[in-house]
Amino acid sequence: MAYRLSLSRMDELLEKMRESYTIYAPMRFEKRGRYSDTDLVRYDKIRSVRDIVYDEKSHFSPKEVIHPITQALFHFTEFEYRESEVDERPVLVFVRPCDIHGIQRLDTMFLENGDAADPYYKRLRDKVKFVLMECGKGWDTCFCVSMGTNRTEDYSLAVRFAGEELLLEVKDPSFRPLFASEKTADFRPEFVSANRLTVRLPEIKSRDVLEKVHALPLWESYDTRCLSCGACTAACVSCSCFTTSDVAYSENGRSGDRRRVWASCLHKDFTVMAGGHGFRKTPGERMRFRTLHKVYDFRARFGGADMCVGCGRCTDRCPQLISFAATLNRLSGEVDRLNAEAAAATGVSV
Amino acid sequence: MNHDIDIKKLQVNCFRQSKVPGEFMLQMRAPGGVVQAKYLAVVQHIADTWGNGQLHLGMRQTFSIPGIKYENIEAVNEYLRGYIEEVEVASCDVNMDVNEGGYPTIGARNVMACIGNSHCIKANIDTLSLARKMEKLVFPSHYHIKMSIAGCPNDCAKATFNDFGIVGIAKMEYDYDRCIACERCVETCASHATRVLSLENGKIVKDVCCCVGCAECATVCPTGAWTRRPTKFYRVLIGGRSGKQYPRAGKIFLNWVTEEVLLAVIGNWQAFSAEVLNHQPRYLHGGHLIDMAGYEKFKEWILKGVKLNPEAEVAERLYWTETEYRSNIHVKPVCGVD
Repeated sequence: MAYRLSLSRMDELLEKMRESYTIYAPMRFEKRGRYSDTDLVRYDKIRSVRDIVYDEKSHFSPKEVIHPITQALFHFTEFEYRESEVDERPVLVFVRPCDIHGIQRLDTMFLENGDAADPYYKRLRDKVKFVLMECGKGWDTCFCVSMGTNRTEDYSLAVRFAGEELLLEVKDPSFRPLFASEKTADFRPEFVSANRLTVRLPEIKSRDVLEKVHALPLWESYDTRCLSCGACTAACVSCSCFTTSDVAYSENGRSGDRRRVWASCLHKDFTVMAGGHGFRKTPGERMRFRTLHKVYDFRARFGGADMCVGCGRCTDRCPQLISFAATLNRLSGEVDRLNAEAAAATGVSV
Repeated sequence: MNHDIDIKKLQVNCFRQSKVPGEFMLQMRAPGGVVQAKYLAVVQHIADTWGNGQLHLGMRQTFSIPGIKYENIEAVNEYLRGYIEEVEVASCDVNMDVNEGGYPTIGARNVMACIGNSHCIKANIDTLSLARKMEKLVFPSHYHIKMSIAGCPNDCAKATFNDFGIVGIAKMEYDYDRCIACERCVETCASHATRVLSLENGKIVKDVCCCVGCAECATVCPTGAWTRRPTKFYRVLIGGRSGKQYPRAGKIFLNWVTEEVLLAVIGNWQAFSAEVLNHQPRYLHGGHLIDMAGYEKFKEWILKGVKLNPEAEVAERLYWTETEYRSNIHVKPVCGVD
């Protein structure tokens, strides 16, 4: 069923929904952007549909809701510990189609990677329902179509904002009673079918080519361009890395928290081990790792889709104006050449 | 050639005397160092028609056009009318009567500014809009004052070497939960600013005493944990100057003041100058004027009626460090070198 609602009517219904749900959406934080007099658009709890920034891409992804930047796992004193708790209320999150795919990638990482599902991820993830926001034409850094993440059916509600009104598809039957007396409409969300950007993905067909990809000089070009700041991985909806540490309270060193905090494979200490040994010492090597993780390693391990969902937030947020789409296209060109060389060497045509 | 020219009168009219008798250099104001590029055609017309074809990018961000002959000054002034109307009245809302006589005074010098946050990734304030508000407060006044606005404590605008130097600063807010302890802010503060940040227990702690408000931490933070408070704050340096006698860098007079406070202070400059100079405007560096009055008296006059915001800090006293050119005994002739 679908409905046509004025924003003020929707706010009345939202108020009712807020009795049982915590509702997150991209919100504008005025003048809180990286540069002076720029805004920050990121997820937070909304009180009104007017809080929702629907006509811009958020700077940060909705993963923060399910995979918080800082999360206490348990609190300890000298002789005992207590596991952290989360708000029991279910959660509604306003997201884009690519974000839903991105969160599916996080599901793979946290729930299906190895024998045990991550309980701290699961306890939040199980409570989440999606409200799909239509993208209209999308944005200039998007490449969801190239990544196959432009469509989804995995949502409870879908919304199109239209000035002082909105169109709402109610797919999840549990929401139907709430909208029973509203004016119905003929609405199904439309998905982006073409982006301004087209990205070609590398087809790495052999171990030999993979090793040659590792040695490509193109990575070195990022030694001077990339700051290793990790703004890309912080904005990414599918980056899942965190680091776990015990933090002893300064007032009493015998008690504290075990917590996890996001980490980034771009940071120079990401692979540092005891004795100072590290695997990826240069920004270019770290850029290579991130790139291949997003469009090769994840698929090699889990099959199916690539980890990158083409939301383009990494490109939007890079302070050095490194385009991930351009990086992928450069890489694909190099891989084509390597594949052709490999084929020529073995006499097999590609 | 036999000249009989009132040099002083022309100086007040913004025409500077040349070493070539009878020639002058026009200084056109450009508050905040910005005008529409179309005015380059106006500048070019003046330079080609009445000047020697050259344009000097003036040291205080004026368009300076040398080689204008005395007999052409009337024509130049008439031609300037449109520029003054547009740049002073329309853009800065300056309260003045624009006529064919050109600039009414040179008193308060062109308000300088860096490009500010309309462009610069480092800047914390919109320097141009502030410059225009300040221009309205000090122009056209015969009382001399030199002001410059820097968008951030980098001070590319050399606010440090002006009577009043304004520096855009930001009060920073830290979101503990958004911080991922990457230490970009710690490294950046150490290399660009006052190393007030450090990592403690996996998060950032700040020595708030000595933050200069540059907001480099927000600029480099990958997660948006550091953000600027939306309210703009300003540092006001006073008494900076160059010169042949005892140049000195300006000192902090006010810190963390709001725009309202800043403009109220600038608004008091004329009354202070009039008091110290007995209502007789003359060429004197603002710093010398403060010296004549003494800092205590200056502070009393310049803060008259000003309601300071709660964050504001005011200098108790000023410790000048001047370069005494008469005491350069450490500079010796080089001996024994062919």
